[in-house]
Amino acid sequence: MTMAENGAVKVAINDLSFFYGEMQALKKITLSLRRNKVTAFIGPSGCGKSTLLRVLNRIYEIYPNQRATGEVLMDGENILSPRQDLNLLRAKVGMVFQKPTPFPMSIFDNIAFGLQLYDRLPRSELEGRVETALKRAALWDEVKDKLHQSGNSLSGGQQQRLCIARSVATKPELILLDEPCSALDPISTAKIEELIAELSQDYTITIVTHNMQQASRVSDFTAFMFLGELIEFGETEKIFTTPTKKRTEDYITGRFG
Amino acid sequence: MNQGRYLRRRIRNLVFLSLSVLATGFGLAWLVAVLGTLLYEGFSGLNFQLFAEMTPPPGEDGGLLNAIVGSLMMNLIAVAVGTPIGILAGTYLAEYGRYSRVAFVIRFVNDILLSAPSIVLGLFIYVAVVLPMGHFSAWAGAAVLGTIVIPVVVRTTENMLLLIPNTLREAGVALGAPRWHVIRHITWRAAQAGIVTGALLAIARISGETAPLLFTALNNQFWSLDPNAPIASLPVVIFQFAISPYEDWQRLAWSGALLITLAVLALSITARLLESPQERK
Ligand SMILES: Nc1ncnc2c1ncn2[C@@H]1O[C@H](COP(=O)(O)OP(=O)(O)OP(=O)(O)O)[C@@H](O)[C@H]1O
Ligand SMILES: [Mg+2]
Repeated sequence: MTMAENGAVKVAINDLSFFYGEMQALKKITLSLRRNKVTAFIGPSGCGKSTLLRVLNRIYEIYPNQRATGEVLMDGENILSPRQDLNLLRAKVGMVFQKPTPFPMSIFDNIAFGLQLYDRLPRSELEGRVETALKRAALWDEVKDKLHQSGNSLSGGQQQRLCIARSVATKPELILLDEPCSALDPISTAKIEELIAELSQDYTITIVTHNMQQASRVSDFTAFMFLGELIEFGETEKIFTTPTKKRTEDYITGRFG
Repeated sequence: MNQGRYLRRRIRNLVFLSLSVLATGFGLAWLVAVLGTLLYEGFSGLNFQLFAEMTPPPGEDGGLLNAIVGSLMMNLIAVAVGTPIGILAGTYLAEYGRYSRVAFVIRFVNDILLSAPSIVLGLFIYVAVVLPMGHFSAWAGAAVLGTIVIPVVVRTTENMLLLIPNTLREAGVALGAPRWHVIRHITWRAAQAGIVTGALLAIARISGETAPLLFTALNNQFWSLDPNAPIASLPVVIFQFAISPYEDWQRLAWSGALLITLAVLALSITARLLESPQERK
């Protein structure tokens, strides 16, 4: 890797393996996430896409018997190191889950929760940032008159956009999206895809998706995984037009998976 | 279709239905009889005097004020001390120690405590508190009620927290919030109604406890707010007055019993009301 390319790498994953107890879910994965690019993870159900994302903010640490080996360098620092401050890491890495997870509090407080964790913002600035986050997630118009209602009162799709707003509000450097659109209608999906494109100007983004069109629309790079292994990784255009591995081609064209 | 089998099934259905209705009716009949008797016997005594005067000597007029206040005082101390301990312990079991050995042992011991007869707990407090102090006291009564409250609250708190999906905790942790922050602001809040319900049910549970109070708080015919002295309580006074040969004492016992029942009923209804709006989707 040349020096210039090095600077373009936000996260370098080297020989990453992951274990749920005895079960190995990731097998020596090596790949790089480019700064300010969108990397899509595709592959059949159970191949380890979510597991890989869960390593990047070490959320798996809250469970016993789950462990990762290898190296994950974020801006050159190994985040798997025991010395890594986990709360700090997670504040820098935003995550959106497959199912919406609104907190049991008002819409406003859902967003403010993360904002107030590490900053003491004056009320006016807090309100401004909540508004910006909701606008970015294409939710503002629907909720601006009921910011103090419970987040649980929203529809499933609205809840998901609330969660997206919540994680972009804190301006994380790396954003992990695990099938963020699986509960959304086509219009909200389109809005989220727009948001991803916009966010990638400032942030590094990874997205897991089962929707091949979505992967090809939103991502710059694509990684195809199968049974815990990285089969192929490269520029999205190349993966979707001229994959080098037969398995990748079969999966993309819908012959299996 | 086989006509014979169809007929048999219908008959069997009818038999089972009648049996269930009968069994339900049998159970309900007793309940109605108990509540009816209680209302019939105790309602006339529910007057101002009941709440204004002390327990009388036989043959004189009086009320239950000292017993009501004694019960309230001991319940209050027991709940004020027992609920926070129970909630914290339940939180430890569900959040921090979910998979640890220590938690396993604590859970096991707590379950034993939960099903221990209250008289055994009374005996324990008698040995641990009353004997060293040298006399019966409201403190000892409150202590025994507290040991009944704690395991109930531990259990309900843990159960309610376990119902909260892990994804909610993960979402909080993923924002960079420390574990205690997530618990305080997210999981507790999500389980709030259930935890409060647990505390209310614990109060209902101790409101009628009599046996363990007999040899901890004992009784007191007079007005007392001194936690270091023996104190009257509704259940003990009911017990004493009900088995007495005096007509007017028995009347007071009925009224006291009705009072406890109404209080427990109110607690249960509140607990129910708290539960229902939270049951979304
Ligand atoms: N908590 C867990 N304990 C044990 N095994 C797990 C756990 N979570 C996932 N696995 C296993 O790890 C493997 C990878 O799971 P993972 O959730 O990463 O798949 P995925 O690619 O995200 O699938 P999907 O597309 O269905 O979300 C699967 O075989 C799964 O059974
Ligand atoms: Mg997944």
